[in-house]
Amino acid sequence: MAERKKYVIIVDASKCIDCKACMIACKVENNVQEGFWRNWIGTLGGENGSLRTEFQPGQCMQCDDPSCVAACPVQATYKQDNGLVVIDPEKCIGCGNCVTGCPYNARYRNPLKRIADKCDFCEDRLNRGKEPACVVTCPTKTRIFGDMNDPQSQVAQLLKTQKLVKIAAPHINTRPNIYYYEGTKLLDWAVAPMLPGNINRAPEFWKSTSS
Amino acid sequence: MPARINNLISRRKFLQLSGALAAATAINNPCRVLYALTRDSGKKNVRDIREAFSACDMCFNKCGLIAQVENGVIKKLDPNPKSLKSKGMLCARGNAGVKQLYDPDRLKYPLLRKGARGEGKWQRLTWDQALDHAAEQFDKIGKQYTRCGFLFMAGTDMQSTFVHQFAEVYGSYNIISHESNCLLSRNRAFLDTYGVMPTPDVLNCKYIILPGANRFEALVTPDSMDLMTAKGNGCKLVTLDPRFTKTAALSHEWYPIKPGTDMAFFLAIAHVIIKEELYDNKFIKEKTFGFEELKDHVRQYTPAWAAKETDIPADDIIRIAREMAAAAPAAMVYPGRRSSDYEDSTQIRRSYAIVNALLGNWDKKGGLIVPAKLKVGSIHMEAPFYEDNPDNRVDAGMAQMMFDEEGSFKHTRDAVIEGKPYPIKGWMTYKTNPMQTGANRNKTIEMINHLDFMMSVDIVMSDTAYMADLVLPAPSYLERQDPLSVFVASSTCSGVIIRDPVIPAMFESKPVFWIVKELAKRLDLGEHFEFTMDDFRKAQLKDIPEVAKALEKDGVYNLAGPNYGIYEGKPFKTQSKKIELYSARYKDNGIEPMPVYKKPAMVPENHFRIVVGRNAYVTQSGSTNNALLWELQKENSLWIHPKPASILGIKDGENLEVKSSVGKVNIKARITRETRPDTVYMDTGYGVLSKGLTKIFGKGACISEILEDRADIISGNMAMHETFVKVRKA
Repeated sequence: MAERKKYVIIVDASKCIDCKACMIACKVENNVQEGFWRNWIGTLGGENGSLRTEFQPGQCMQCDDPSCVAACPVQATYKQDNGLVVIDPEKCIGCGNCVTGCPYNARYRNPLKRIADKCDFCEDRLNRGKEPACVVTCPTKTRIFGDMNDPQSQVAQLLKTQKLVKIAAPHINTRPNIYYYEGTKLLDWAVAPMLPGNINRAPEFWKSTSS
Repeated sequence: MPARINNLISRRKFLQLSGALAAATAINNPCRVLYALTRDSGKKNVRDIREAFSACDMCFNKCGLIAQVENGVIKKLDPNPKSLKSKGMLCARGNAGVKQLYDPDRLKYPLLRKGARGEGKWQRLTWDQALDHAAEQFDKIGKQYTRCGFLFMAGTDMQSTFVHQFAEVYGSYNIISHESNCLLSRNRAFLDTYGVMPTPDVLNCKYIILPGANRFEALVTPDSMDLMTAKGNGCKLVTLDPRFTKTAALSHEWYPIKPGTDMAFFLAIAHVIIKEELYDNKFIKEKTFGFEELKDHVRQYTPAWAAKETDIPADDIIRIAREMAAAAPAAMVYPGRRSSDYEDSTQIRRSYAIVNALLGNWDKKGGLIVPAKLKVGSIHMEAPFYEDNPDNRVDAGMAQMMFDEEGSFKHTRDAVIEGKPYPIKGWMTYKTNPMQTGANRNKTIEMINHLDFMMSVDIVMSDTAYMADLVLPAPSYLERQDPLSVFVASSTCSGVIIRDPVIPAMFESKPVFWIVKELAKRLDLGEHFEFTMDDFRKAQLKDIPEVAKALEKDGVYNLAGPNYGIYEGKPFKTQSKKIELYSARYKDNGIEPMPVYKKPAMVPENHFRIVVGRNAYVTQSGSTNNALLWELQKENSLWIHPKPASILGIKDGENLEVKSSVGKVNIKARITRETRPDTVYMDTGYGVLSKGLTKIFGKGACISEILEDRADIISGNMAMHETFVKVRKA
């Protein structure tokens, strides 16, 4: 397996019980400050008193065409060989362009470090031979993590056998690396990313450049 | 950098757009840039992390965990995949355990009440001063009111056994657990039907009815996970609940049953199964007692009748009965856990037990099973005999069939207030918070005001500790050595889990084992506690030496099955030696031998029934002030259906007054179809009185303030769904 790794997560949202274990596990593992989250559980329903019927975990999609990387003026955020989109804290100037540049709202500005921050599939844990905190702690094992380039991995098997979908932003396909089981109902939460200086540009701007 | 990105927006172009802004940011605030530059990225550095096994204590489940310790600080709690009970999971509360440990609100040293009770004025004591003072009070009250004049209450904890042992050698029979505010009605019903409390084999079941059991929120390991796995394997889930819980959301069918009518539903299910002869005749003949009586009894309980009682259509009741019978014996009525609901909760749960018997699921795969439990030893002590003690517990005879070893908080509290049959003037609580969990908070305060001395051992200033005279700081579960704990994990196995200190105890906190030893010494009872925790553990493992090695290696010992058919040919531990559909013992005690349906009281006009429940990140009152969990929910709200809300002119988020016959609270409205129009709900654990819980003090409302304190007639369990409230804009 000389091939480079490519980490992905496959989510079976029908298993999510909305217990928030992944959110707290992430918060502790990555020391995420009060008021900020690197991952979340989306809910179908709940507006105007309606029933909440489906729960769907999400986080940074580690996109192959990341608009956050494009948005970074100093190349502090970049895509690694193993597929992870990461931030070099020495280069980041905290401008926040990548925060609005992400169609999934996966980034925030770390209020202590004053630089961009987001999920990196717990790279620190991966270096220690452990899976991401959100994956490990889940009671129903809603998220399945692995290297899709390793044919023996569960994710590679699932990619072959399961019908999976991706959640793409309306105007730009950043080629995300989180897959959801077909039938996931929350598919419309990605938004058009915005960049300073061009937020007033028509959505066609994104369409025309992403083809 | 893939070419596509450059097509998307060229870096140069992008810099033109945003560079000016970025530069301005850098110049205007150089500090943030410097911070970023001076930081060691550290990414590829291998961290020096020590791992230590423990057992979670954020609720009662004791899930296996592996603490990640770096430079003496617990950085993270990971699940222990070796535990076949928790199966490699740790919930939100389990993950938030680090904030129970590192909580600025923790009790740090012994405190003696200074001002009036509940005023929150304290004086710091040394441990010697605190223990001398406590011993003096134990001695004084014992002499003046007999030893039974001191009441002990310990929650579910691996060290609670020592509080019980101390109470026994001190000489009081008045020991109560938390369970009479929780699950005793269920235990009573299943014990009296099967002679034992069975475990549901959720994992292998094909059809599960969850009556009011919210297993995807009120997490029980492994049931909560097994329920999802079973569903994936084709198990059908049917939830009966006045609320659209997350369990309801993830079930195949949800029926918003009229609260208090579950028995009608199950008597009708029994009616259909018997009428259509959908049962296993051989099983009924060999293993059950009183089938003919039951047959006659349930003839009256038709699905059409039950439909009117429950609001569940008759056709659905008939269909569910048939579907269940077809899936039997891998079909079950899930016994549930908290059953402190109604005055006839034991009889309601009896109807669950009886339907299970009709499904023939006893001792079968996917049914109700009793896994072999490990025989763990103990250090037994001879309690001294105190001649002047009264004959019985203070709550004796106040319920028809109370569990003597659990007692009844409701009845004991009444007895303390009345001073009858004899006065109780002292109270020791450990890791239990009846101020929040016992219905009718004002009555608990009244009870406390009748005491001469109250002592609480706790981690934080809970509402119960807040009312005490002496508050002693305990270490969290991550700083303690505990006795070994035996668990039963459904079909998979039973086992033993170990808890050793991951880090040394912080502040001046001391475990309750040490506290009772020190008290015993001062009361000339020291001889009964002349052993260490290591001695105690050795005694526990005396007959099972193989366990020690597994505990050292894995932090847990699992005793794998086989767990089916192990009771074949063995008599049940009941009067008839069979499963008692009909209980002659009940009849002898003046109790209906089979559950007789009584209509629940009608909700009066302009009122609602209030029900109790859980979500997955609140353990009653024990976790609402946890900094991490607090972020998920900063206060509770009153769930109210849009229909009555519109009649009352209530808008979402508006402040409400909720009033019952025993109290009133203010709380924000959550308008939702997730509850019936006649039923309202709020989470437990808010509206605290303690100023020591700084994150939630002044937030939300306390449900025990407005719950009336009714009791299950048979078990003495608190009945918390018998309260009607009036709701209006505050």
